[in-house]
Parts: sequence; structure tokens; C-alpha cells
Amino acid sequence: MKFDINEVIAEMVAAVKGVVGENWNEVLSVTNHFFQMKKERLELLAELRIADDITQKRFESRLKDEKLIAEAEFHAIAVVSKAIAQKAANAAIEVLENAVKTAIDLAK
Amino acid sequence: MKTLLKLQFQIYLFCLIITFAFLSEGCRVTLVPDYDDSIAEEILETAKRVDMFYLDMLETTVNENGDRAYNKMVDSYVEIEVELASLLSKNKIRPLNENSIRICEITLELWVKYKGEHKEDNELSDGLIKLNRLTFSDLFYAMLVAEKAKEIISNPPK
Repeated sequence: MKFDINEVIAEMVAAVKGVVGENWNEVLSVTNHFFQMKKERLELLAELRIADDITQKRFESRLKDEKLIAEAEFHAIAVVSKAIAQKAANAAIEVLENAVKTAIDLAK
Repeated sequence: MKTLLKLQFQIYLFCLIITFAFLSEGCRVTLVPDYDDSIAEEILETAKRVDMFYLDMLETTVNENGDRAYNKMVDSYVEIEVELASLLSKNKIRPLNENSIRICEITLELWVKYKGEHKEDNELSDGLIKLNRLTFSDLFYAMLVAEKAKEIISNPPK
């Protein structure tokens, strides 16, 4: 059996697509949850300022904190993306390794 | 937008795969550390502790009679700060864990900041308790998502 690089690449792409497709909803659901929580917090923050429950200085300070919270959220999404990338990359490498191993075995 | 993001992600992945496939010679790609069940448990415990701290303050105390004076809460603040510092230390010793480390640093930074505000004002309004509770709930969720995501690597394909 001939080692067909085009076929191997197609199988590697399919492996990647499979892993990304399986886990893509995870990224979307986490992102949606973050936006929902951010909405609740910003609503409350605005209410507190309108009701004069917090000073303008404290309001601005809390808005600055939102940048830090957003940074934390992006770090969480980055880990999900990296984990998906790691799994997909290894699945593709496994396809290549198996194809090379099969070709070597047949050539013996 | 979602399709574009997905396409960009797939192109990035494909380039990564090709590079690694030809350079790795049997090695495996490692971008994140392995999932640690004990850290996930500790995140949940600390999140529960913080939630309890704010809920208890909201439900059982009022500002008017000095129930929420800083010195009455200082022990809980310190205990929770110690737990957050412990989570940060445990994450710091794991390789390839810079994202989780940063989430812990931000959580600790805001905990210390809000403790300082409480100390300065010597009171905490119901509104600020609710806001702080939402803030930490979000940060612990981010921390937990980052830890649980590491399970994706070991999950078998569906």
C-alpha cells in the first residue's frame, strides 16, 4: 500500500474537525455565560450609582475592575481553546503516525 | 462572526498540527497542564466560602447598628485571603499554567482591594455586598472553567 500524503492530510483535517466540532459548543456556552453575568453586574452597578448608593469615584473604580474581570474571563476561554487545540493536534499527529507505521509495516 | 472565528481557529490549529507533526517525531503536543481534581475541589470550596461570607453578611447584619464594622469581619477576610493565596501557589507550581495563574492573581487582587474598601468605609451597603458577590461568583466560575477545560484533553472522543 502506497503512502498517500493527500489522504493522510485529509484524515488529519477530519480528526481536527471532529475534535473542534465536539468541543466548540463549550467555548460558546462559556462565553455566553460570561456575558450574562457581566450584564447582571453592570445593571446592578448602574442602579447603585443612580440611587447614589456609591460615589462617582467608587463607580469609576468598579468600572476599572470590570477590565480585570474581562481579562480573567478571556484567560478562561484561552484555556478551553488551548485544550481543544492540544487534543486536536494530538489526534492529527496520531493519524500521521499510524499511517507511517502502516506504510513501514507493509514495506517490510 | 462565529463562522469566521471558527475558520480562523481551524486554520490556526491546522498550521499548528502540521508544524508539530513534522517536528515532534512521536512527541505529543502539550499546551495546558493535566486536570487536577483537588484544585477543582478547592476552587469550589473557596467559592462556597466567599458566597457564604457575603450572604451571611447580607442576611444577618445591617449597617446601621455597626454589625458590619470591618473588625467584625476581619477574621473571615483573612481566612479567605489565605485560601486564595493557597490556590495561587498551587497553580504557580504547575507548568504551562499561566492563564489559571492570572485568574487567581486577579481574584486575590480584587479580594484585597474590596477588603481595603470595607476597612476604609467601616461599613458595606447591601448593594455593594450584592455586587461583590456577583464579581467573585464570576471570577470563581472563570477559575473553574479554566481547570475543568483541562479535562477535555483526557476525554475520549464522542
